[in-house]
Amino acid sequence: MMIAGIAETDWIALLLTLRLALTSTLLLLVLCVPLAWWLAFTPSRAKVLIEALVALPLVLPPTVIGFYLLILLGPRGAIGGALESIGLTHLAFSFTGLVIGSMVYSLPFVVQPLQNAFQSLGNRPLEAAATLRAGPVDRFLSVVLPLTRRGFLTAFVLSFAHTLGEFGVLLMIGGSIPGQTQVASIAIYNHVEALDYGAAHGLSLVLLVLAFSLLLAVYALNRRFRLVGVAQ
Amino acid sequence: MKVRFQLKRGGFTLDAAFDLAERGITAVFGRSGCGKTSLLRCMAGLEPDAWGQLDVAGEVWQAGVQSLATHRRSLGYVFQEASLFAHLTVERNLRYGWRRVAPSHRRVEWQTTIELLGLGPLLNRYPDQLSGGQRQRVALGRALLTSPDLLLMDEPLASLDSDSKAEILPYLEQLHRSLALPVVYVSHSQEEVLRLADQLVLMDDGRVLTQGPVARVLTRLDMPLAHQQGAQALLEGVVTHQDEADHLTEVVCEGQSVWVSQLSQARGTRVRLSVAARDVTISLVPATDSSVLNCLEVQIEALESDPHPGHVLIALKLGKQVLLSRITERSRRQLALKPGDRVHALIKGIAVH
Amino acid sequence: MWIRQAVLAGLAATALLMATAVQAQQITRVAAASQLRFVLEAITAQYRERYPQNRIDVQYGSSGRFFAQITHGAPFDLYLSADMDYPTALVEAGFAASEVMPYAIGRIAIWSNTVDAQSLALADLTDERFRRVAIANPRLAPYGARAKEALISAGLWDALQPRLVYGDNVSGTLQLVQSGAAEVGIVALAQVLNSGIASQGGHALIDAGVHQPLEQGLVVTRRAMQNEVARHFAGYLRGAEAATLFRTYGYDLPADVP
Repeated sequence: MMIAGIAETDWIALLLTLRLALTSTLLLLVLCVPLAWWLAFTPSRAKVLIEALVALPLVLPPTVIGFYLLILLGPRGAIGGALESIGLTHLAFSFTGLVIGSMVYSLPFVVQPLQNAFQSLGNRPLEAAATLRAGPVDRFLSVVLPLTRRGFLTAFVLSFAHTLGEFGVLLMIGGSIPGQTQVASIAIYNHVEALDYGAAHGLSLVLLVLAFSLLLAVYALNRRFRLVGVAQ
Repeated sequence: MKVRFQLKRGGFTLDAAFDLAERGITAVFGRSGCGKTSLLRCMAGLEPDAWGQLDVAGEVWQAGVQSLATHRRSLGYVFQEASLFAHLTVERNLRYGWRRVAPSHRRVEWQTTIELLGLGPLLNRYPDQLSGGQRQRVALGRALLTSPDLLLMDEPLASLDSDSKAEILPYLEQLHRSLALPVVYVSHSQEEVLRLADQLVLMDDGRVLTQGPVARVLTRLDMPLAHQQGAQALLEGVVTHQDEADHLTEVVCEGQSVWVSQLSQARGTRVRLSVAARDVTISLVPATDSSVLNCLEVQIEALESDPHPGHVLIALKLGKQVLLSRITERSRRQLALKPGDRVHALIKGIAVH
Repeated sequence: MWIRQAVLAGLAATALLMATAVQAQQITRVAAASQLRFVLEAITAQYRERYPQNRIDVQYGSSGRFFAQITHGAPFDLYLSADMDYPTALVEAGFAASEVMPYAIGRIAIWSNTVDAQSLALADLTDERFRRVAIANPRLAPYGARAKEALISAGLWDALQPRLVYGDNVSGTLQLVQSGAAEVGIVALAQVLNSGIASQGGHALIDAGVHQPLEQGLVVTRRAMQNEVARHFAGYLRGAEAATLFRTYGYDLPADVP
């Protein structure tokens, strides 16, 4: 069935892609805050080691990342096998597996902007807030978040956009199951392989327009609120 | 209250102890790097490795390595650079601490503080729209509005230009007069100390050299301040008479008259006068045929040789107060000056605060 | 204030997206080598008409990747490889529910969309006008390995090697020629018989005697042990009707297929 010239299966792939990008990006934003915070302020010597590890997904070929994740999350892997042994299913070839793959793949895109934002903020605003009776959580919500908003925005945009185009990792760990793990990028690839260039163009265009509109909306939202400089 | 802190950082060790007065401004004075900011930060709980003792208003803030978290301390802190929250207007900056104090604990009033510091016209502006002096006033107001039991100020004027400093000093003096809480004021500026401090804690190389009333510490010959080039003595007096014709004001100090350039202060106002050691000459007889306006009867308390070669530093008693004078060794010999002598101090220049 | 609005909007959007999750249905999943795409699409279309209640979904990809995925839990019920080695390895690894069944024998051909390949022989590939020649990667793709064997037996391998470019699989190899990155290539016969490709250029069939046979085998995976549809479809693939289509698409058939 065709809707607006695009096959229904392609629309499903598109929605799956959006769902994946949103889920993995939001999860990353939450989980990476403590890591980025630690990296920004720790005097520990382990910092350079952790920074290098965080940057690793940038240099590893996506298929390699996918392959190792497949081994880890599949039924014979350390994580997948452990799950199977307690009666649960392994994580490969499922949406959860895709989310994990995307999170590993986009990890540096979230940690680095957040870390930079926290470092630029410095300790002083937090000390000031503490002298004004604000506890740790209060300080984070009322001072850190508003002043590092741009860092969060950058992290969100980079991770989201990166996941939209993700291919190698997802193909390996997802198996391209229509409706479950076949994301838009894989669908486009399949069309190209099948020499169905019309369908490939169509889906690519929709993906492009959708992604662009989303990013535009996010940047516009950021501009609406007073841009904050770093002046004292 | 007793204050005691030890801190090791890099090659620097802080080991300081002093008594903090329950009221008034205690200035912590010393060269850059002597540890005064570190001491202040320890008092605020901002140094996690500190060891020490500090009780404020019956609450234990520091006992050994145990430290009460900063946000649980009833303190106000003014940083050297205002450190206002850039994403909040002035009003919301002020409200930040204010809101986090239970209404029943609020002793400082909102409107009074705004008026005292002249913050009314600034309320809707953002910090980047303010001048340095304005920012510091807001920082001060923000700290006060938490109704603190202790106010800590870390060189609040150090990053301001002289115009901004001149703008804000009157506010600080006004605050000084109207506040009933202890203030610790860190500074390396002698002028600020002269204008604002009641007690002076002198620090050097991480240790406290001495503490005491500011006029006393300034003039102690065994302390470094008296030996500085710009050594000053502080006198306190009361305005008694305005001479409109000659544009002069009479201030009475320890029963003697001191004439200064016309002041706006009303009769009966207490004022501080500072007199530089280099501006005080000594005469065995009253100066009747000279242009010097002020000639006071004093008694020599002590003499010491000055770091400047060929000069001596003399501490002169004026009732209960002390004046400093720096003269040449030759003059001292010629006048045969010694402790206990009653002489006349001729004062060339007086600054009023 | 605006944070709350943004969070609510985000939650609403997420709920909407979650609703798009497709329910799992009883589908038999087939993993097939990418070069089987055209012939298999025809065969499955026919099968679906005959047996509409049997739901089949075919995914195309490299035999090697599918092997790795199946041995790590990929939910495929049938595995159609481009060779015999991979299915055999799957059986030996204990992931198969049947023995390896050959279903087709592939052929390779020379193809170009810029030069009339019909008149070309293997020896012509060393001609100066062919700056680059594309074959599938011999290490990854069985068709590439056979192409290499053909070139070696014709004594051309050493001379030609500096000019070779490698496609990931036969599809990639075809694209290299189509895009002009290589002027000529050795690809699967099944590909060049497809009307779309044939209209772009002719081909020259390579004699089956100069390389090992491209026998292609399938297995039913361990996961599909109880899956009747998988076995049924496997049987259909090796039956007479499928055989006709295989031949149309340029495949030879194994001896035991009618």
